[in-house]
Amino acid sequence: MSDLLSHASDAIKEILNSIGVGLIVVNRHQSVALWNGWIEKYSGVSSENALGKDISEAFSELPSSAFISAISNAINYGLPVVLSNALHRSPLALFERNFEQQGKRIQQSISLTPINIDGERHCLIQVTDSSTSIKREKILRTHSELLKKEATTDALTGIYNRRFFDEHYKMALAQAVRQGTPISIFMVDIDFFKQFNDYYGHIAGDKALIAVATALKKQLQRVSDVVARFGGEEFVLMLPNMQHDSAAQFAEKLRLAVWDLHMLHEESDIEQQVTISIGYSTFFGNESCDPHALLDTADNALYNAKRSGRNRSVFLSYQPLDEQKATIL
Amino acid sequence: MKKLLIVDDSKVSRMVIRAHIKAVQPDWEILEASCGEDAMKITQEGNVDFCTMDINMPGMLGTDAAEQILQMHPHMRIAIFSANVQDTMQTRANSIGSIFVAKPVTEKSISIVVNYFMG
Amino acid sequence: MDSLSELQLDALTEVFNVGAGRAAASLSEIVGDEVKLSVPSVEIRKSSEIDNEVIGLGTDRFGAVHQTFKGAFEAEAILLFAEDHALEIVRDMMSSQISIEDLAEFEQEAMCELGNIILNACLSAMADMLNIPMDCSLPDYTVSTIDEIIQRINAGEVDAYLLLLHIDLVIEKRRSKGHLIFVLGSTSLVKLSVQIERFLGAI
Repeated sequence: MSDLLSHASDAIKEILNSIGVGLIVVNRHQSVALWNGWIEKYSGVSSENALGKDISEAFSELPSSAFISAISNAINYGLPVVLSNALHRSPLALFERNFEQQGKRIQQSISLTPINIDGERHCLIQVTDSSTSIKREKILRTHSELLKKEATTDALTGIYNRRFFDEHYKMALAQAVRQGTPISIFMVDIDFFKQFNDYYGHIAGDKALIAVATALKKQLQRVSDVVARFGGEEFVLMLPNMQHDSAAQFAEKLRLAVWDLHMLHEESDIEQQVTISIGYSTFFGNESCDPHALLDTADNALYNAKRSGRNRSVFLSYQPLDEQKATIL
Repeated sequence: MKKLLIVDDSKVSRMVIRAHIKAVQPDWEILEASCGEDAMKITQEGNVDFCTMDINMPGMLGTDAAEQILQMHPHMRIAIFSANVQDTMQTRANSIGSIFVAKPVTEKSISIVVNYFMG
Repeated sequence: MDSLSELQLDALTEVFNVGAGRAAASLSEIVGDEVKLSVPSVEIRKSSEIDNEVIGLGTDRFGAVHQTFKGAFEAEAILLFAEDHALEIVRDMMSSQISIEDLAEFEQEAMCELGNIILNACLSAMADMLNIPMDCSLPDYTVSTIDEIIQRINAGEVDAYLLLLHIDLVIEKRRSKGHLIFVLGSTSLVKLSVQIERFLGAI
């Protein structure tokens, strides 16, 4: 029986069998020459029963085809192979030992490294249990998510801030360009907000901002949709996969949402309550799109909405920057 | 005497196929083309018996060129010779009436191709 | 010597396309759908010529997989994708509704494997066609800027030669462009050229 450990010192045997990593060595005929304690424990196959067997027969169940190809690559070409847990959940028949999860396969990260023993090519197989690192990642991620939230949330209104929007917008637009899908941008501004603040005071002004932000946010339905505070009394909404006709309906929904708050505003020149103006634009998913140009177009549309009476929405079709100068009315 | 057209955008690849064919069929006349469009022109000029066709070339896809050539010259035999070895390609090759052989070109793969041409 | 001849570059392109075909086949088994991988061109450059323009992936942050190898010659191989493309590739390989946040857990491992698959396929093609067997390290994955990559390239020899391969990868209808760079010292370039000549001579 070809046991590589048979000539090893007791100390080495002890170490290899106690290590928290699965170690298997196969020779150039793909038969098992080393089967350490970790593998014994999780495969349920003792080293006496595994040694000398073809690697595909040593386990209680057949290894995945990716694993079998990987061994061939390593032995025949001498190339190291990585079988990431991301793409191969559990190529080998290794099982959880704790009571609640008995019989469930362990998530594995496997690497195969060609090595030379006594002038002959062998393959060293290392197996680690990925589930602990996945749990750790999840904990780290939750912490960093909390930190991220602070950096990307507007303290007053609780919606996303400008910084978050800037990052997210670029990514979403790039994806829209790549996939040829549309994306709509809405710039929203509270009408006569300065007058509201001056007349009712800053605390009331803050309350109004929160109310408007919440009303706008309520109109969003999909995970991919974003509303963010763009500036003092300005908000921006980004809705991927929204076409022009739906955009028009949505803009009206936004306007009504704020209208229905019926927030008293005696200093407004047009109505007796708080209203918003909306400028929006759509990128249709063709060719390329300059992120600034799309935002500017929506901003120009907002300007038009203000100029033509406020409490309304105006659409401008996307114009690259050099064309925009001509169309400001 | 048979006429073979080798279609591949790589000059080296055409050289390799030519050399392997000449080793077993020294009397065949061999023509070359570096893209699907040229292959179609040459087969139009007439009398080509066999063709080896690469798939990934600039312009027309090799399998598309092969399909059209076989439609216009049903007596011809075409072997798709490609590095693109996935099932989809093999099935496509077979469905248009050609065979599929994986690169790299070896003595063995050439003999499969020649047998197909002559068989 | 300065470079490889046109015919030698053609031969190399052909070798790498065979490698690309093998890698695509392995990837398509993982993804469960057709994968297209091709190497449209191979260039030789000096490491002093590499900057963002040459790499041309429209970004300055890259997902980079490194693998070193030796045998008939010594080299370091670096597979580069634009970082957000790398995440998209990983998502496509895992073919699920996984969110961008969850992907980050798997980016490192999955990119290592992707790089490993592509590099191994290229190396096995070189071994088969050019008769150049190689010993190779396990891959590592980092997210790097162009400067960090250039630094890494120049850490070995001054003004080394680079075999710059442009890669075209299509998974799940998403096209990503990448680069595979082999960093070679001048002695290694000579050895490689000798092997290619041998291959051409035997035709």
